[in-house]
Amino acid sequence: MAKVLETTGMVCPFPLVEAKEAIVDMATGEELIINFDCTQATESIPRWAATEGHEITEFEQVDDAKWRIIVKKGN
Amino acid sequence: MLQMIVFGIICGLMLGFVLQRGRFCVVGAYRDLILAKDVRMLLATFVVIAIQSIGVYALNGTGVIQFANDGFPWLGTIVGGFIFGVGMVLAGGCATGTWYRAGEGMIGSWVALFGYMLGAAMTKYGVWKVYGDQLLSYRTRDTYIHETLNVSPWVLVVLVTVLVSFLVLRELRKPKLPIFQMKPKKKGMAHLLFEKRWHPFITALLVGLIAIVAWPLSAMTGRMFGLGITAPSANILTFLITGEDVLIDWGTFLVLGIFLGAYIAAKGSGEFRWRLPDKKTLRNNAFGGVIMGFGASVAGGCTIGNGLVNSALFAWQGWIAIIFFLLGTWVATYFTIIRKQKQTVGSFKAA
Repeated sequence: MAKVLETTGMVCPFPLVEAKEAIVDMATGEELIINFDCTQATESIPRWAATEGHEITEFEQVDDAKWRIIVKKGN
Repeated sequence: MLQMIVFGIICGLMLGFVLQRGRFCVVGAYRDLILAKDVRMLLATFVVIAIQSIGVYALNGTGVIQFANDGFPWLGTIVGGFIFGVGMVLAGGCATGTWYRAGEGMIGSWVALFGYMLGAAMTKYGVWKVYGDQLLSYRTRDTYIHETLNVSPWVLVVLVTVLVSFLVLRELRKPKLPIFQMKPKKKGMAHLLFEKRWHPFITALLVGLIAIVAWPLSAMTGRMFGLGITAPSANILTFLITGEDVLIDWGTFLVLGIFLGAYIAAKGSGEFRWRLPDKKTLRNNAFGGVIMGFGASVAGGCTIGNGLVNSALFAWQGWIAIIFFLLGTWVATYFTIIRKQKQTVGSFKAA
């Protein structure tokens, strides 16, 4: 089961702040799909995932200044 | 006039481009220190200071540029620095950040930018001038740290450069995090300029070099300072209303260049789109912009003019401003983000 987090329209650092909140009650191995359009998050979300040990299963730019990233919760 | 336009725009274009591609954000750097316990971006700002200090004191030594010596307005720097720090969190970017995000199509940044120009113009020329002048009237005799210590500025240049190099090397030696990268769609130069992630230290190196060339380019047009954002921003608005063309200088074209450079960088990499935030964010952007304008005017500069330029000159103003920018940023980050996190997710830290 994947959970979708819509943060389009939110400015930094809120996409990351929301992602951190959203992932708290998820189970290990569950996926969080984050849609965002704040440029700085292209740097901060992958970095946070790597630091926290979450796996990124997909990361793509879907449109002009629109991205989708899928974070699989680690231990 | 032509020289002023060309030199200003060129410098601004380079800076706007580099800031957008490098995702260089001073408020982010200050904020991440408490939000993510990450010192990397703050260190990047010190890389800019170190590189620039070498360049500007070398240029000063050859007599190409001179530095002002009019004391340190300590009260204005403390009060203005703190208010600026709070303002830039609410505005969603520092002064320069606001200019380049406007170039990325962020409507919230357009609102913040207007507020910033207004706040700065009100403090420099308008109804807030009395408060600004009052705060700026408390001055110490010494302008520079090396002046007070009675040493050559090169002592401080070497000290800061050695310290920053040590911290950078230590950071680079840390085991590399496996950070996920998007599949490149572009090749060669296009990939490098319009797609690749730039390392923050590379971005900082480029910003430092641009900050150095800004000095002679600006001096050639009769403006003896490096990068500066606040006065030009206030002057653009005031010029538009009064038509006084003495308000137009190298700095005017610098800030317009930043906007254009960021637009080119964003457009070229498919990162330009008009983006509208929610009402609450817009309100914060407007209010944050105005107080940021007031703060920068009484502090004698923003996170660029004070945080990167005056600090590289080892002016007391630059370093004391950084301390109060940080404090303001942290207080505002606590009230707008951290406290809310603690309320909504009690177990946030435990997880």
